[in-house]
Amino acid sequence: MVKYVRYFSFLIGIVLIFGYVEKTFAQDINLVATVDRNVLTLNDRLQLTLTINGTQDANPPSFPSIDGFTLLYGPKITAQTSIVNGVVSVSKGFTYVLQPTAKGKFVIGPSTVEYKGKVCTSSPINVEVVDTPQSSQSASPDLEKLVFVELSTDKNEAYIYEQVVLSFKFYFQKGLPISDIDYAAPATKNFMEEKLGDQRQYEEIRGGIAYSVLELRTALFPMVSGELAVSPARLKCNLVIQQRRQQDTPIDNLFNDAFFDDFFGRGQKRYPMERVTGAISLKVKPLPDQGKPKDFNGAVGSFNMDASIKTQHVKVGDPITLSMSVYGDGNIQTISEPLLVLNNEKDFKLYPAESSTQITNRDEVIRGRKVFSKVIEPQKTDLKFTPVIMFSFFDPRTGQYKTITKEPMPIVVEAGEQEMPIQLTISGSNALLQKQQAQILIKDILPIMTNLSSLRNQGDSVYKNPFIIACLSFPAITVIASFFITRHKERLQTDIGYARNKRAHAIAKKRLAKAQFALFNNTPAEFYSSLSRAMADYLADKFNISAASASGDNVSVLLKQRGVGDDIAEDVSHCLTNFDYRRFSKDGGTKNEMDQSLKLAEQLITKLERQL
Amino acid sequence: MKARLCILFLFIISFSECWMQIADCGLLKSEIRNPKSEMSRDAAIKLFTDANEKYMQASKLIAARNNQEAEQKLKDAALQYEIILLNGYKNGQIYYNLGNTCYRQGELGKSILNFRRAQRLMPRNTDLDANLRLVKNSTEDKEVSSEVPVVIRRILFWFFLLNQNELIILAVSLYVVLMMLLFFLIILKYSWLKRIIIGFSTGLFIAVVSLGVKGYMEHAISRGVIITSKCQVRYGPGEEYEPKFEIHDGAECVIEGEKDNWYRVYVYVGVKQDTRSKTSGEEKVDKEIRRGWLPKKNVDII
Repeated sequence: MVKYVRYFSFLIGIVLIFGYVEKTFAQDINLVATVDRNVLTLNDRLQLTLTINGTQDANPPSFPSIDGFTLLYGPKITAQTSIVNGVVSVSKGFTYVLQPTAKGKFVIGPSTVEYKGKVCTSSPINVEVVDTPQSSQSASPDLEKLVFVELSTDKNEAYIYEQVVLSFKFYFQKGLPISDIDYAAPATKNFMEEKLGDQRQYEEIRGGIAYSVLELRTALFPMVSGELAVSPARLKCNLVIQQRRQQDTPIDNLFNDAFFDDFFGRGQKRYPMERVTGAISLKVKPLPDQGKPKDFNGAVGSFNMDASIKTQHVKVGDPITLSMSVYGDGNIQTISEPLLVLNNEKDFKLYPAESSTQITNRDEVIRGRKVFSKVIEPQKTDLKFTPVIMFSFFDPRTGQYKTITKEPMPIVVEAGEQEMPIQLTISGSNALLQKQQAQILIKDILPIMTNLSSLRNQGDSVYKNPFIIACLSFPAITVIASFFITRHKERLQTDIGYARNKRAHAIAKKRLAKAQFALFNNTPAEFYSSLSRAMADYLADKFNISAASASGDNVSVLLKQRGVGDDIAEDVSHCLTNFDYRRFSKDGGTKNEMDQSLKLAEQLITKLERQL
Repeated sequence: MKARLCILFLFIISFSECWMQIADCGLLKSEIRNPKSEMSRDAAIKLFTDANEKYMQASKLIAARNNQEAEQKLKDAALQYEIILLNGYKNGQIYYNLGNTCYRQGELGKSILNFRRAQRLMPRNTDLDANLRLVKNSTEDKEVSSEVPVVIRRILFWFFLLNQNELIILAVSLYVVLMMLLFFLIILKYSWLKRIIIGFSTGLFIAVVSLGVKGYMEHAISRGVIITSKCQVRYGPGEEYEPKFEIHDGAECVIEGEKDNWYRVYVYVGVKQDTRSKTSGEEKVDKEIRRGWLPKKNVDII
């Protein structure tokens, strides 16, 4: 099913396309006869082209009757299809080359072609065959006829402010290579001008010769009456002529080809040309006084007007924006504001209108729209309608003044709040113009400051404040201290050697106190036991070794390795040996000796604490 | 985690507010003890109120076209403001009011000078900006504006909205909070605190850099205002040198050096370039630096 749908869609598309093309073909079928020149010598050859526009399947047109020429060869048939902006145009050309046989003026008769019952006939062409010139210069083609310019207006008479279309046309024979076109527009003093559309390009046949035409158009609006002149326009261009070079060498032969010539631009010769149009005189008539409305403000053209309001329900003094749109042909820029007809001047307060202009069409004539936004303020509650709007213009086509009248629009005005009249602007004629902005009457400095609560002495820098200094130092000290304390605690928990080292002195002190207690009780064994344990445990904690390993010799070596002086190391070793000896022997010594031993142990531990 | 963050945030905010109040109180206490300030706050307030009253009276007299009496009142008011300032009691309001008084007296240079001084102490005050703009527009030399673009002012808002002392308080606040956070991190070892610490460290860094730049701009670069009606800037430090150019009352300059009784200064001047074209129709104004020497008596440092 889908397959069939697609098939039919394709068929419908083909039918539509070809139907459209066929329709195009069927329209405007004509036969055009053109020649490449209409003045030639006996040595020249005339190229006659019969072109059927609108179809490509017509039979060849009948060969026209031509006196004084013989057919050399032809027809050479060419077919052309072009699509411009979606418009398909087709043509078929039949080109014949003719040789003049006699001097004189001849007429190439009309040719005819029949297509689907319709007979088309070409226009006859006048051709002149002249003598063969003596000099080579005069043999060159007449460039004045091949390339020329024209300046024209669409009318010779116009009213002041009426739109006149000025047209500049540049003709050059079809196929003639023209480049570097430089156009100097004519001076249009006493005219306002607006460019009309883009440059136009088309073909035109004149005297049997096909020309390519470039057309530039401008809309002119005469600003004064009388005989006004438009000065000549100028155009400069180059005619590019391909010249063949002499072939001298095989390499020249190789590269002396049209392809290389075109690519490198060689072999081209440019002939500069300048063409000047004639001046144009335009009779500009003043606008008639008869029938001129009072509110006429110089609008000339064909215009219409729309009007609307944004709000219908307002209070007294509230603004209503009245939108008035004038549109049509003519100089839309210079249109003045439409007139509001007030029954009583105090009914509404009027403000100057703001306007915006838009050119909507530039193709044929200047056509556009100018929108006026006018603010009106009703001053009474009994107002039921907006003012009547009138716009007058002069229509040059009819030669009469016309007035557009827009009927009043209904509004509802309610009583507004009573406002205190505050005079912000200078009263006078300009007051309305300055309504929307509060006018600065005079510039003055702002008043002095009187805030006493903030009248502190700001002269002193805060960093000198003791409180600030404390705040800077105390947190830093706290943080540093907390850091070391925390680290110390952590090491105590994780590092046994560190913990024993740190605790050694405290434990030794306890043991020494115990020894002192034993000394007080006069128990030598216990005294020396405590003293020996105090020393041995202290050293074992300091070196992170077992208490059993803290014997005299070992300790002496370890102490010396840690950089403790030899005398202290020897004393410690001696003490340890002595205390152990006394501890296990019955010779406890006198109380005085025990006291000396205790003091010695305390001194040694204190010294070791400093050095370890 | 979020709850902990919220609690910490609330704690920091409340701490900052307390800290600002404490700093404010500390300022007041320090002022009373300030050995430089010979005037007590009460005496300053009394004089300030009196000067304000004279200014108000002068304004009324000006409105009543009694210029002679008004001038005397303004003179008295200006003198009283200056007495407060000379006694070491400095406040943005006093400078502002003195600037207003000078403007009323027609001394544009002194007015700009005092407004500029007030601006350092009250950088957020819009009335001050408006008055300064007005007075600057009244001066004869329409120098090229060297104002910082609004975009930069918005981006570095703390730099332009806070004065030096406020920036110090901000930096110290950030520092204290950072230290507290570090303390908690050390004690409690919450790893999420590290991110907040990084944030506060960055803030502290920015505050300290801003403070440094502000200090440099306010103290290392000497700016002056011309306080005489006309001042010739010469090629060298002495009357024997030819005048180079002339500046007028209220023109601002940057002081580069000094010799004897002369300052070496440079000023920004606008040089109009005629680059008018049919299409643009604009006139380009380039900023140019012009250097020279001027007498010390003609300029007052901000």
